[in-house]
Amino acid sequence: MIVGYRTFKRHCIAVSVLVSLLVSLGAGATDSESLPDWSGVWARFEGNAGMFDVSTTEPPDGRAGSPGVRQYPPLTKEWEIKYQRNLEIVANGRLPDPVSICGTPAGFPRLLALPDVYEFIVRPEQTWIITENGPNIARIYTDGRDHPPQEELWPTFTGDSVGHWEGPVLVFSTISMIGEKHTILDRSGMVLSDKARIHTRMFITDEGLLRAELVIEDEEALTQPWHVTRHFRRLPPGTRVYDYACAENNRNPITSSGQTLTLGPDGKPIDIDIE
Amino acid sequence: MRYLSRTGKRLTALCLLLSVVTSAFAHHSSAMFDKSTVRQVTATVLEFQWTNPHIWIQIEFENEVGDKQEWSIEGLGPNSLFRKGWRPNSFEPGDIIEIKFYPMRDGSPAGGFIGAKFADGKTIGNW
Repeated sequence: MIVGYRTFKRHCIAVSVLVSLLVSLGAGATDSESLPDWSGVWARFEGNAGMFDVSTTEPPDGRAGSPGVRQYPPLTKEWEIKYQRNLEIVANGRLPDPVSICGTPAGFPRLLALPDVYEFIVRPEQTWIITENGPNIARIYTDGRDHPPQEELWPTFTGDSVGHWEGPVLVFSTISMIGEKHTILDRSGMVLSDKARIHTRMFITDEGLLRAELVIEDEEALTQPWHVTRHFRRLPPGTRVYDYACAENNRNPITSSGQTLTLGPDGKPIDIDIE
Repeated sequence: MRYLSRTGKRLTALCLLLSVVTSAFAHHSSAMFDKSTVRQVTATVLEFQWTNPHIWIQIEFENEVGDKQEWSIEGLGPNSLFRKGWRPNSFEPGDIIEIKFYPMRDGSPAGGFIGAKFADGKTIGNW
């Protein structure tokens, strides 16, 4: 078959456009072989019952939800007052945890401080953080895309995460989180606004821990970036992950006053004092 | 690059120990339990609910005036308990057990599970 010069030229232009398109779509992507091995099942390393910033928690062994236990982010005066108000509610046992209703995700960044286990699924174009508790899924796009334009964003529990690989380090930013409206960072009553932006670096340390270094910016709630580090430890090979069907037998509904009730086997509250 | 010093490693070990010994109630606040008080009773297991988000052990024992009363004892979720060695049949109806729990602050017939000892001497949880 004889192909004319004009046809050949058109063909070459089409191929060039296609190649350029494929290259641009793959910009920032990493091939599978160069990605780190984050396989297996992991669990949060820091204790303190999920206190988000363990490094500033007072008392140091204090547990989230226990009266008087708090952390010290660089809060503005207004948000420090808000936190202290929540701490008082916690002390009275009336802070409603949004996840107790078994209907909404824990959200980002709280999903980095949950009990039970984690999986980190690493692909060139995307990393998934899957938490057994909840469950929650955070999708971190690493295919070269940017955050959506403002008109295509609305606050969600987990927000929008995009990033890239710097060798074995996953670098990503998260925006558009729903904040204090529907999420807390831990049961001490710590909350952020929906203006928060979080920059995260994740990598495996020499000790084999998966480390997440977060720099949290919040023009409403914080006076300066809040640095928080969290770790995960790998569980023995063969560890399985199970359903967390929160609504299966939730015998702890929350009243409108924030009281966590206890239901008997007949489904009726057995609490003597109900507000 | 080393991220954890020797002290850091000791803290690491402590963190691990704490995280194993004092697991949190994953799904809700545990403010309703009086954790300054440990109650221990001999009870009969009526039902074992191996369910999310928490397991429940329904037990029956005699109160101070000799009346039998049913209590609901709440534990962690089945997933984390399975990984600690629990099984769906860890408790069977009719088992006679000694059980320790944190009672409810308001005195209602429920509590937060601490540990149990079976008739054959085996224990589960923190005994």
